[in-house]
Amino acid sequence: MDIVFSAATVRYGSRTALQSLDLRLSEQRIGVVGLNGSGKTTMARLINGLVKPTAGTVTVGGLDTVGDEQAARGKTGFIFQNPQHQMILPILAEDIAFGLKNRGLGKAEIAGRTEAVLARFGISHLARRRVHELSGGETQLGAIASVLVTGPELLILDEPTNQLDLKNRALIARTIAGLPEQVLVITHDLALIEDFDRVLVFHDGRMAADDRPAEAIRAYREIAAC
Amino acid sequence: MLNGLDIEGNSPLHRMPVRGKLLLLFAAAIALFLLSDLRLLVPALGLSVVLYLSTGIGVGEAVRRTRFALFTVLLVAAANYVFQSPHEGVVVFCRLSTLVLLAAAVTATTSISAFMDEITRLITPLERFGFVRAADVSLAVGLVIRFVPEIFARYGEIAAAHKARGLPVRPLTTLVPLIILTLKDADTIAMAIDARGFRRH
Repeated sequence: MDIVFSAATVRYGSRTALQSLDLRLSEQRIGVVGLNGSGKTTMARLINGLVKPTAGTVTVGGLDTVGDEQAARGKTGFIFQNPQHQMILPILAEDIAFGLKNRGLGKAEIAGRTEAVLARFGISHLARRRVHELSGGETQLGAIASVLVTGPELLILDEPTNQLDLKNRALIARTIAGLPEQVLVITHDLALIEDFDRVLVFHDGRMAADDRPAEAIRAYREIAAC
Repeated sequence: MLNGLDIEGNSPLHRMPVRGKLLLLFAAAIALFLLSDLRLLVPALGLSVVLYLSTGIGVGEAVRRTRFALFTVLLVAAANYVFQSPHEGVVVFCRLSTLVLLAAAVTATTSISAFMDEITRLITPLERFGFVRAADVSLAVGLVIRFVPEIFARYGEIAAAHKARGLPVRPLTTLVPLIILTLKDADTIAMAIDARGFRRH
């Protein structure tokens, strides 16, 4: 799916979070790196319309994220930095099912899809667990399942390995690597994106590099060293 | 609805439709406030204990879930005992404790999503008049119940941070950061609700 930024700019008052971004993304695995406050999360939030461009446009699969907000959002799933915050119901299976409820599906189909996505990520045994009691890795998997159950074509993950131990980090890395959906990952975990198709580097609200992982990571290290 | 954590089971209350449970709870609440005869209130309290335990919750968990509410009831009853009359104190205790236990029994046998579905169904007719959006009301109820444990956990972290820095845990210095952090979380949660497409504009 093509994601196209055309002179996309985001300003908060006098501060420019993202400066006139022109970009077309169509790769399967896209990494985004940058220092804190560099504009990478703003860029990702533009894709599913959580942030509106102050100027310019963003289209997802040909749909404008402002003019066709709901349709464009339906094509993307978003995993936040703290996935606990996006799980709305207290029991994992209920939370996954809840995402399907206002989509005109019957009870049997909702139950079937919920079971299928739990099985897909190997977390059927967690179906009746309370979400605030899940471990970090389990929470991430549950959040990914709850988003992918609605069938988005693109999954955006904002620092998915943040605060995970080595075992859970490996689990999430394997999960991301195995996803058939297009994936865009914002991360400080450089090992996570070293075999991605394309990596973008953001700095001071602008795209500072756009390259294959090794070259982009080198550019990022130079920026971070300054 | 206390902390909204249902337990799996197959008791008569589990099998009862959500609407029936809520209507019975409502009717029981009205009846309890109309009654002041201890010959009826004491058996009602006993019945509510039996009903709550019939859900299969276990005594320990039952006490853990209701102790804060029952402690508050005890305080209110004690105030009535002292300032009104001993009889009034016992009446208030039986009345409110029965209600707490009945509500806890409904909570223990009703999943949040079933509860939210029922709220949506009940409120949907009001949408015609433009008063409310039923899905938003049920979502708000679900959010409150879902995030109560988070808020308690956050309070625990703030209190622990005070102790780690050698500061006394005072209501003002803990509640202010708790409110600020909770509001900050609320922004993220609102954004997550939009991202997951719960609200169709």
